[in-house]
Amino acid sequence: MFFRLLANSLARRMSRKLLAAFAVWVGISLILAFLAVSIDVGDKMNRELQAFGSNIRLEPVAASVPVRVGGHDVPSTAPPAYLEEGELVTLKRIFWKNNILGVVPRLWTRGKTEGREVPLLGVWFEHKIPVEGGEPFATGARRLYKHWKVEGSWPSDRPAGGRISSLVGDTLARKLGVRPGDAIRVTVPSGPATIAVDGIASTGGREDDAIILPLAAAQALAGREGKYSEADISALTTPENKLAEKYGQDPKSLTPAEYERWFCTPYPGSVAAEIQKSVPGSAARVVRKVSETQGAILTRIEGLMFLLAMLTLVACGLSVAGVLTSAVLERREEVALMQAIGASRESVLLLFLSEGAVLGLAGGLLAAATGSFLGQWLVRAVFGSEPELHPALAVLSPFLGLMIVLAGSIWPVWQALNQDTAAVLHGN
Amino acid sequence: MEEAAVAFTEVSKVYPGEVKALDRISLRIPRGEWVAVMGPSGSGKTTFLNLLDGLDRPTSGQVQLLGTNIADLAPAEAAVFRRENIGLVFQQFYLIPYLTVLENVMLAQYFHSMVDEGQALEMLESVGMGHRASHLPSQLSGGEQQRACIARALVNDPGIILADEPTGNLDEANEEKVFEIFRELHRGGKTIIVVTHDRVLGNLAQRRIVLNHGRIAEDTYNGNRAGECTASIVG
Ligand SMILES: Nc1ncnc2c1ncn2[C@@H]1O[C@H](COP(=O)(O)OP(=O)(O)OP(=O)(O)O)[C@@H](O)[C@H]1O
Ligand SMILES: [Mg+2]
Repeated sequence: MFFRLLANSLARRMSRKLLAAFAVWVGISLILAFLAVSIDVGDKMNRELQAFGSNIRLEPVAASVPVRVGGHDVPSTAPPAYLEEGELVTLKRIFWKNNILGVVPRLWTRGKTEGREVPLLGVWFEHKIPVEGGEPFATGARRLYKHWKVEGSWPSDRPAGGRISSLVGDTLARKLGVRPGDAIRVTVPSGPATIAVDGIASTGGREDDAIILPLAAAQALAGREGKYSEADISALTTPENKLAEKYGQDPKSLTPAEYERWFCTPYPGSVAAEIQKSVPGSAARVVRKVSETQGAILTRIEGLMFLLAMLTLVACGLSVAGVLTSAVLERREEVALMQAIGASRESVLLLFLSEGAVLGLAGGLLAAATGSFLGQWLVRAVFGSEPELHPALAVLSPFLGLMIVLAGSIWPVWQALNQDTAAVLHGN
Repeated sequence: MEEAAVAFTEVSKVYPGEVKALDRISLRIPRGEWVAVMGPSGSGKTTFLNLLDGLDRPTSGQVQLLGTNIADLAPAEAAVFRRENIGLVFQQFYLIPYLTVLENVMLAQYFHSMVDEGQALEMLESVGMGHRASHLPSQLSGGEQQRACIARALVNDPGIILADEPTGNLDEANEEKVFEIFRELHRGGKTIIVVTHDRVLGNLAQRRIVLNHGRIAEDTYNGNRAGECTASIVG
């Protein structure tokens, strides 16, 4: 009988209930979409922060602003303008060696082509650093500069035939009118050289104006064998917190215990300090990466989307409650009648809440489909990236529908149960 | 003395705004009696019934049904008491619009205990509604709806039947059918309390109570003053 009652009530009095289910459907679709964006933003951000962007810049002391190491000023001896490539192996020997994810030494020099002066940048494209008792550590521009967009192909450090291969920054490439496969004649103090263009690189940085070639080739052209002028290092670090901030303001204000903790936590600052100590004549500084700023914005978008989802939940809950309240009020006589012919509160409550549950589940199930669809569309529209699938959200959806409808109908049904039955039935 | 079906002791009902719907009413209705409650509009008849079925509570005084003081029952207990002992026929025909006539009758069974479709159908047949069992209330005439309500009131075999204007909106032919049902119930030993403006129905009853301004203006057994022959009736 209960199911007959339920089925008939649902089937023969549709309009208002459809409205409630519709509200649930639309509301939860939006909630799911916002949540999907929020989650995708988080994922994206994590991936981006984990990507090997460099976050520490190593320079010769002279080129750097004074840097404090472990709270002590580094004595500024006769500063060499270059650092030694050979000493980079120590990076895989320091305390934080496992946090070092990548390193690219860079040597800047200059050359002339077609009467114009062009910067030449030597880098490791792909390089292996030997590690004592372990696999060699593979690193290089290709791994570190994930954000470089290369049209054509990445050059090799030691191309066959002894030629010099390169990437040309896209701004320079436009000026010179070169394309992958072309060659550029460059004159350096020691004489002319021919550089093959393997690819055009869009880097978003100074490199866009430069010819990027293997470090060894740049060293040879500049006559500075074994030297580099700076290095980009990617280290896995812990986001800065109060302690790191305190250290940043005044290292001496840390208690010994705090210093210990600071030293043993891979904050960007502590890793940089360790690197600086291990490479003679160097100054290591923490680079606030673009992706960190982006990260802050993404965190905000994430929060915003979550907030939107919550607000939508509230709005949806309120509108469903509104629809259900009027639907129940419309049925006050029915409630009164049921009570008059001896129905217990529980059985009336059960009937109405079951009806609500069916509507909520239906709305929620529909929303599971449309919501993920909408979410994917939003992610694509906002980030232009391929959206993830979130099965958990689809599972959450019917539950949300259920909760919204139950929360929205309990109050009006309770009101109806506590109404003055006699007054309702006798129309006084 | 046998426990009365209904006993009112000094019952008053005052609605908000100092409306005295019932004013210190005392009366006894023995089991098996058929009582017609009459009186002008607004005299307190419906209020009287509402106090009987426990949907409403007196402002002062005591209402007893089958020896139970209704006011002492919690709402849940009152619901149980109602479905066990009372069949209600309302002034308007309150059927649930999305259920068929048969399902409306079965609903009372469902709330009472067990659904028995065969018995529900029998009940409808006994009020001459068997052929309309699968219709929705909106497809029925007023008289048919009223009879469906009576079938619902009777399906759980209550000892007391309370009816508010059961023939108020009916034509003569339908009225006659309802009278017949009541006669049948009376023969079956049910206590019947029926509020009516209908003189014919009033005369069919054993006893007539006339209310006026919330007081009992007249209480007669087939034309004799109450008190005078109560003993012979109650036996
Ligand atoms: N809920 C209420 N609030 C205030 N006054 C009420 C309420 N219910 C009834 N009354 C008043 O109490 C008095 C008795 O009402 P009741 O409904 O019992 O009359 P009745 O005899 O059934 O009338 P009718 O023959 O028109 O159905 C009337 O004056 C009515 O206005
Ligand atoms: Mg009335």
